Amino acid sequence: MRKGYIQLIAGLLILPSIFLQTDIVFIFLQALYAIILAISQKKKFKLLPNLILLISLSTIHLLQPNGLLLTKVGPFNITLGALILGARKAFILISLLYLSHYMVSGKVRLPGKIGSIISLQLLYVGKITSTWASLENKRPFIEAIDKLLFSLEEKEVIEEDKKESSDTPLIGPILINLVHICVFWIFYLLPKFGYTISLL
Amino acid sequence: MTLHSERDKRVEFVALLAAFALFLSTVEYMIPKPIPFMRIGLANLPLIIALPLLSKKEYWLLALLKVLGQGLVTGTLFSYIGLFSLVGTVASALVMRVLFFSFKNSITFLGVSIGGAMASNIAQLELARLFLFGSSVKFIAPPFLVAGLITSVVLGLFANKFKERSLWYKEKLL
Amino acid sequence: MKLFKRVDILIFIVAIIIIILSFTTIGSVGGKPTVKVTSNNKEWYYDLSVNTFATFKGPVGETTIEIKDSKVRVVESDCNNKVCISSGWVSESGQWIICLPNDVFVLIEGDTTNREGDQVDDTSF
Repeated sequence: MRKGYIQLIAGLLILPSIFLQTDIVFIFLQALYAIILAISQKKKFKLLPNLILLISLSTIHLLQPNGLLLTKVGPFNITLGALILGARKAFILISLLYLSHYMVSGKVRLPGKIGSIISLQLLYVGKITSTWASLENKRPFIEAIDKLLFSLEEKEVIEEDKKESSDTPLIGPILINLVHICVFWIFYLLPKFGYTISLL
Repeated sequence: MTLHSERDKRVEFVALLAAFALFLSTVEYMIPKPIPFMRIGLANLPLIIALPLLSKKEYWLLALLKVLGQGLVTGTLFSYIGLFSLVGTVASALVMRVLFFSFKNSITFLGVSIGGAMASNIAQLELARLFLFGSSVKFIAPPFLVAGLITSVVLGLFANKFKERSLWYKEKLL
Repeated sequence: MKLFKRVDILIFIVAIIIIILSFTTIGSVGGKPTVKVTSNNKEWYYDLSVNTFATFKGPVGETTIEIKDSKVRVVESDCNNKVCISSGWVSESGQWIICLPNDVFVLIEGDTTNREGDQVDDTSF
């Protein structure tokens, strides 16, 4: 349970280093790192939607010409600056997305009332899914939904109190996440101090 | 440790509706979409039909649970997707409440749904203009809004039908 | 079975109007006021409505232009006579500034008659 909190807090501390990023190469590195973090927590990385995001954002930004002219396509001027701007924004979004996956992957008991309500909500989702799947006659549709809804109210909703058996030492996760935080901030600060890796 | 006070029962009811929203968004997620940004908004259905069922506080709790639930389950809560979801849902819920309670008998879930979808889409487009695309967002606006209109009409009509036919719903209205 | 009522239709019409409006704001893609810089046989394009700075390297050093409030000027240059800097601001289509020693030619293109007031500082996010 605690490990999840550490990941959550680490993520919050990392957040600014991503969306304040101004360098295209380093945001790409941050994105890679975030994706690796997410994968380490067993989250999937799908190439296609991210690629679509990258291409569409870059293309949209080409409509506002900026920088070195690379080539002309009809009446449009394809400029390098616009391309980089769009790509940078896309990588920022991708980084935020996978960082978010990482932050949320730890098993965190949400504090207070809202936490227990959300647990209840998620419990119900499980019930809805299993009940709906087991319904034989899904037509007529609304009658089927009614059946589902009525059945949900019959049963008692029992909260499962999962007791955390072993309190594994937290030093490990804390140190690892400190490393993550440092890496992201180094990636942010390096270009600020002029250590840019030139593409051209 | 199950206290069945009236208040607890209401909270359970809201959680149930929120769970439905989550369920519907999972269903929508599995439907293949040509463009990633086009959302059908199935998850808004509970927010529509809950308008006459919940108090103001309960309704906003529902909206919050919808956003948090979706964000946590998909892991997008702290990303741009989570922000868009929050902005869209809040705008939509606000407009839907205003429409529903201002026009009472002259409006059905259809108008409410359309209004909510338009509010949500416009709010999200504005967010996209500020943080993503700048003025170039005007190129995405038309198809986005058209898709939103079409899906909200279908959703609203379904909500009307549901109100007509569902025994469960009729029971809740009492 | 009532599928819809009066206000539903009203809202639907309002939505249609909004959508039509969104189609009309697209306007023309080309013809936006642009700052075109030619130097060393290469071309650069910048949106006149976006505040920014840009630096170009030439035979005698660097020349920097500033775009601000839909105007452009040469703000710094390594050339001797600094004629380019003293040219001041230009903002209309067809106006130009040139730094001959450093091979930098700044020209405003596009339609500058329609001022949209689109002041988005895109380059900072």
